[in-house]
Amino acid sequence: MNVTLTVNGETRSAEVPPETTLLVFLREYLNLTGAKTGCDIGDCGACTVILDGKAVNACLMLAAQADGRDVITIEGLATREGLHPLQKVFEETGALQCGFCGPGVILSAKALLDENPAPSKQEIRNALAGNLCRCTGYVKMIDGIQEVAETMRSVPTPALPAASKGEQKHG
Amino acid sequence: MKPFGYVAAKDCEHAVALLAQYGKGARVLAGGTDLLADLKFSPHPPPEVVVDVSRVKEMKGISLTDAGLRIGAITTHGEIIESSVVQQVMPALADAAGVIGAHQTRNLGTLGGNLMTCVPSMDSGPTLLALDAQVTIAGPAGRRTIPLSELFVGPRRTSLQPGELLVDVLVPKENLNKPTGFQKFGLRKGQALALVNAAASAWMNDGLFSEPRIALGAVAPVVIRAPKAEAYLAGRPVSEEAMAEAGRIAATEAKPITDFRASAEYRRDLVAVLVKRCLVAALGRATPNQKELAS
Repeated sequence: MNVTLTVNGETRSAEVPPETTLLVFLREYLNLTGAKTGCDIGDCGACTVILDGKAVNACLMLAAQADGRDVITIEGLATREGLHPLQKVFEETGALQCGFCGPGVILSAKALLDENPAPSKQEIRNALAGNLCRCTGYVKMIDGIQEVAETMRSVPTPALPAASKGEQKHG
Repeated sequence: MKPFGYVAAKDCEHAVALLAQYGKGARVLAGGTDLLADLKFSPHPPPEVVVDVSRVKEMKGISLTDAGLRIGAITTHGEIIESSVVQQVMPALADAAGVIGAHQTRNLGTLGGNLMTCVPSMDSGPTLLALDAQVTIAGPAGRRTIPLSELFVGPRRTSLQPGELLVDVLVPKENLNKPTGFQKFGLRKGQALALVNAAASAWMNDGLFSEPRIALGAVAPVVIRAPKAEAYLAGRPVSEEAMAEAGRIAATEAKPITDFRASAEYRRDLVAVLVKRCLVAALGRATPNQKELAS
């Protein structure tokens, strides 16, 4: 069957058997191997992606269920200008060691910050409860996420000048 | 996963027609958190067809109707947590949704899936049972409404016949805003099944318990009510001692088992503690007028 969805802003499409999970679709059909195959039953969170704005386990849904929807994977975070602030802070503070859980942790954190720009430590812990890390531990991740939240709140939104230009054009 | 057929149902009638056509060869896919984990590791042959109901509009969403609060079967736990109307008229259900699995599974898993998988430790069951919820079932012969308690038959077994589909859950209007508490005790805060969970609801007008309902999970083959504890509370003045006694009575009504997570004795003790905490939480949600009379 054909599955077409938006991945990191691009329309992607593939012919897959019905039993293909979203995770297998991303990794084996689109070669986006950032989302990891860990437990494969929704316990470890290594496969976490953002689907229509919500963090989900890509291993627990069929690719067919994501047809027509919007997916963000870890590959979609960095830009030409550099790493996403979450990636940067994880790198700088050593919030990751082996890195296997990293894509999932960072996407859970992104989904949280997109909805709640000023989370408490407890809210961050709650958002990461579905992501297992077996080497670094969680303290540096939680501190890092809080640091990014503070920085992102203090930086003026870069989209503003573009928006005002648009208004002038239409005005 | 072993290969299976797949059809995305357009609406309830389409899903029911497929379920009737394939009978036991069909499995319903909603959020997938139970079904896909099952299909990946099941020793049994795969289903002939997976009927995906995750795009059936009628089965999604939360709405206040003349009959009460209706929650579509494929509404996710995440949507229940975020619903302002649930927060307002039935906050205990949001409490329960908030302790299921973890963030990612709550964004996929559905209320209907939680009920239909029918494990004794389901977190959605106790609150809904304590609020006399009803469920709508669509089948080849049309629709029927049954009390939620009649849906549960045994571990992983419901009263639905082949060809039938759970459409929605309704909490009757007379029970909206009924003070209700939910409690879960697991070995961790995230990603843990309940050793015991419980819910209690009661009106507390004039400082007396009326229409008390106590529901217990993970201590019997299905989620059960505790009728003796309810009878004890009915008409009794609201007090902490009465709440504790109701907990002790409920513990005698539980039929827990010993397994690798906890012993039967420990679960029984937990019932007494959690039922009391549920009643305290319910009192905390009673209107100021009710609270004043109880103090």
